[in-house]
Amino acid sequence: MTCRELVELLIDFVGDELPAERRRIVEEHLGCCAPCHVYVQTYRATIKLTRRLPRTAPPPPQLLERLRAALKVMPAPKPPPPGGCFA
Amino acid sequence: MDEKDLEKREPASASPPTSIPPPLTAEQVFREFGGRVYHLARRMLGSDADAEDVTQDVLLQVVRKLDTFRGEASLGTWLHRITVNAALAHRRKKAYRDEHLVRDPLENFLENGAHGAPIHQWSDQPDEQVLEEETQELIEQAITRLPESYRDIFVLADVEQLPNPEIASILGLSVSAVKSRLHRARLLMRDALAPHFEEITA
Repeated sequence: MTCRELVELLIDFVGDELPAERRRIVEEHLGCCAPCHVYVQTYRATIKLTRRLPRTAPPPPQLLERLRAALKVMPAPKPPPPGGCFA
Repeated sequence: MDEKDLEKREPASASPPTSIPPPLTAEQVFREFGGRVYHLARRMLGSDADAEDVTQDVLLQVVRKLDTFRGEASLGTWLHRITVNAALAHRRKKAYRDEHLVRDPLENFLENGAHGAPIHQWSDQPDEQVLEEETQELIEQAITRLPESYRDIFVLADVEQLPNPEIASILGLSVSAVKSRLHRARLLMRDALAPHFEEITA
């Protein structure tokens, strides 16, 4: 297995989706290829760091104001037809 | 529908009141979801102004349909989809493309399949849950510099942490297309971050 072939499989390797035999070959390569060993570490680190990005934070204050203003001029929702929606 | 039909239907008061959550107010929607929607749109579009436009679109859509949602759970799962769609629509409307060409990271290898450049260790990153501001900024900028088709998938997969099949469904792609692009996005991100994290060896 070349380094390039290993890198091509990396997403499945770190995602535990490689068939056992392929996995073994990858691990064998990693055991004796220092650059690939480090490469895999840095690939994993990239994912780990990204996962720590905050997915939310208070929205910018001007955005809340803007939303409230937009709400005021929004047309009122149509009232349901007499007898309910299933008439 | 006549009177007889109405009598046969289960009256609403038969269910215990506690199982029906009260409808959300518009203000609750803004406060509860505004941040999430804004951040997702901001990462996809790379601009504060665009993100605000999309957030307004999305939240007003939600407010118009408030009676449809029974509590926050069903709304949360829907939000990813409509936010992504709104961001994609915004891009199309603006008609600017940021699909700049980048070299395929899998081309960075020699003829014999060995790495094309030396690979250096990264110094240990602090393990605290919250990233240092500088590190966060670094990653955010690298994300903004990804070509759009890679950026969207990277944001949904590794930032928002949606499963690949869900991403595939939202974007109208096959799961294998998602994985292939996600992998390339990660390789590009790795290359972009490496110079900042590599240990300086004497």
